[in-house]
Amino acid sequence: MSMTMLRVTGLGLVLTVFLMLPFILGDYWIYTVTIGFYYAILAASWALLVGYVGRISFAQTAMAGLGGYVSALSVQHIGLPPVLGLVLGVMVAAMIGFGIGRMTLRLHGAYLGLTTIAFAEILRITATAEYNLTEGSRGLQVAPLLEGGTRVEYYFLFLAITVACLALMTWLLRSRVGLFFQSIREDEDGAASLGVNVTLWKTLAFAISSAFAGLAGGLQAHFVQLITPSMMSLQEMGLVLAMAVIGGFHNVVFAALGGVGLQVSLEALRELGQWRLVVFGLLTVIILRAVPNGIFGFVFDALAKRLVKKGRDE
Amino acid sequence: MHQLLKINGLAKRFGGLTALKSVDMNAGEGELLGLIGPNGSGKTTLLNIVSGYYKADAGRIAYQGRAILGDEPHQLARLGIGRSFQVTKIFKRLTVMENMLVAGLSDAKAARGEARDRAEGLLRDLKLDRLRDERASSISGGQGKLLEFARIMMLSPKIVLLDEPFGGVHPELKQFMHDQVRKWNASGTAIILISHDMGSIFDLCGRVVTLSNGDIICDGTPEKTRNDPAVLDAYLGDHHGSA
Amino acid sequence: MSMVAILEQALNGFIVSAFYALAALGLAIIFGVLRIVNFAHGELYMLGGYAYFLAVSALGLPPMLGILVATVALAAIGALVEWLLIRPVYDGRADRPEEYSIMITFALSIFLLNLANSLFGPWPRRPEPLLRGSVELGELIVTGDRLAAAGVALVLIALLLAGLRYTWAGRAVRAVSQNREAAAIFGISVTQVGMLAFALGAALAGTAGALMGPVFNVVPVMGVIPVIKAYVIVVLGGLGSIPGAIIGAIILGQVETFGTILIPDPSRALAYKDAYGLVLLVGILLLRPQGLFGTKERRA
Repeated sequence: MSMTMLRVTGLGLVLTVFLMLPFILGDYWIYTVTIGFYYAILAASWALLVGYVGRISFAQTAMAGLGGYVSALSVQHIGLPPVLGLVLGVMVAAMIGFGIGRMTLRLHGAYLGLTTIAFAEILRITATAEYNLTEGSRGLQVAPLLEGGTRVEYYFLFLAITVACLALMTWLLRSRVGLFFQSIREDEDGAASLGVNVTLWKTLAFAISSAFAGLAGGLQAHFVQLITPSMMSLQEMGLVLAMAVIGGFHNVVFAALGGVGLQVSLEALRELGQWRLVVFGLLTVIILRAVPNGIFGFVFDALAKRLVKKGRDE
Repeated sequence: MHQLLKINGLAKRFGGLTALKSVDMNAGEGELLGLIGPNGSGKTTLLNIVSGYYKADAGRIAYQGRAILGDEPHQLARLGIGRSFQVTKIFKRLTVMENMLVAGLSDAKAARGEARDRAEGLLRDLKLDRLRDERASSISGGQGKLLEFARIMMLSPKIVLLDEPFGGVHPELKQFMHDQVRKWNASGTAIILISHDMGSIFDLCGRVVTLSNGDIICDGTPEKTRNDPAVLDAYLGDHHGSA
Repeated sequence: MSMVAILEQALNGFIVSAFYALAALGLAIIFGVLRIVNFAHGELYMLGGYAYFLAVSALGLPPMLGILVATVALAAIGALVEWLLIRPVYDGRADRPEEYSIMITFALSIFLLNLANSLFGPWPRRPEPLLRGSVELGELIVTGDRLAAAGVALVLIALLLAGLRYTWAGRAVRAVSQNREAAAIFGISVTQVGMLAFALGAALAGTAGALMGPVFNVVPVMGVIPVIKAYVIVVLGGLGSIPGAIIGAIILGQVETFGTILIPDPSRALAYKDAYGLVLLVGILLLRPQGLFGTKERRA
């Protein structure tokens, strides 16, 4: 079979599984997988920025929290319907992301990482400190997205949104923009010498990644109906990083699968208690060291080797 | 001959070090010009300023009559100024074809199919077409240099600045690269060639500009340059002689 | 504020600076030699706190010996981490070394934090400090545990500086920091120096944790906030610069102590305290990334 056929078959199978799950699983697990979709979008949008553009960032969960708080507060204080709150959350996250992207143009590697940590922590501290507005660490009650929605309804809605997000990301990354992103990752000066507007695309990459994160945060807030600053913590960021790396952070779909997979595993391994996170931490380290394409990347490459004939058209 | 590139009074300092004092230089349409000088004379600095990577401290550059000093590298690339790098900057984890397409599609109006066809043609000319789907990290150093050439040509540049393209290249490949350079020049592309390889300079260039200590000390035919006392002094008086 | 109160605040600032400096110096040495930012530094600090706790509370060793145990234990852990995880950055095994080092140290920090949580539980421990009670210095009153810990920290910093200057190993570390290739040509094993640097950095972090543990509690998350302060300090001082780290620590200690006075609302002022350092960090990285004494590199 050809590479394209392998990809399409794989995606089809995965999608079919997700479509069938609500009919097999109980309410508790349907809820868990729905939360998994939040992490899927987060992990995928992080992979876009780090895996494709090569811009390291630890601010992903802070952007999600930003989107969530903006949405929740605008619904609460301005009376926006939740859908518009979500849109506002996405826009604010995109704007702040754009700003951070613009400011950090000349930073790379660890300097960039540190700066994003600083921005993330500033946002989290602000959310905690301004408790008159946000209720601080106690948490803010958030209006539901679907009034009286059942778990199954949320599941399918979030599945659809996640698939749409991934489709959008994939379309973008397979277009010339994806080539520009990767050229920036490989060699910025070389890319500029070929006409790529490096400044613009680096900034937009941050904005786009943050927009998706803001959307995920808003969805999560209106689903769980509660938002706390801990959503923006570096521990949460570590979890998202683990998910993307274990799934495969050079591919948005693999990262997304890592998100859902790890979230489900977290619940499934409940009896292990805190040790679950130890296992994931260790797994992340091992994967980084030995299997850089992630678990799904590894499986896909292995299948491709066996099943795909190396032809002239790939 | 139309002046394609006019450089006036270009100056550049790095802290206490003066790289370019006050450089005046022109390049005409379709010229094949060599730029030589001992190490530290300012050749690469000049090239980096013209291609937008450094900002000059003083001076003017006009390209096709319009002032370009201060423009960004990607803007200059789109205007038709191409350049290569001393250490090739090919995109290692992209395929050879993808490397070409980055250049081909940086123009928003270009269509993918068209760009692909042009890339195919250029790759074929440079004997890289078999490698189109190979990762650039797996091709040889010499093939990498050719890929860099091919990428630049995707921009359909009017002038190409080549920074030491023949470094470490074996003689057969060098001949092939010479032929490519001549071919481009014949089709109307101006070329400024920086090289320590005097053989290549004298083989290819109709005119040679010599830089020393940030100043132009000679501008003329290869013959004239070879015999110019100032040039000989710059090279022989300097411990980093070359060729 | 009265003069006495101001002096007390300033003294507290200096004491805190001493602790920060110890942790920050570890980070500075690791960056100087290995050119990587160790994102697991906070957890190495935390492990030092637990090593001290185990030595003193579980094994009943005297506090000074507890400090020594923490130092040695973390040096060993540091060497192990370098050998297993950091080395690929240098022997060409990692595809994208810069990205790899950032992510693997970050992943390591996740692993270590949760490991501590699982092994020791999230409850705070308060092991025996070096000195109990309070000490009077003229009109100023300072708690003994802080003062003693700061004293030890200062001694260690002095020892470190002397070691870097006068021992062969110290000179090797400085040589590799300044120019890796040249050091290699001169016969210095950069691999071994790399391991030494990471072990030393970890030991410094662990010692800081052991000193701070009895003062501020030993808890799995104890490293999260101090490490950010260490980042601020090394960035302020200039990544890789030792004197820079010391000066940076002094500046941060004072900024934090007196910065709280700026915000009138006391509860919010306290909540924003940790943010000052962060704003400082962002400011430096955006305006003068090489810090006060660092070398200007084109990229990090």
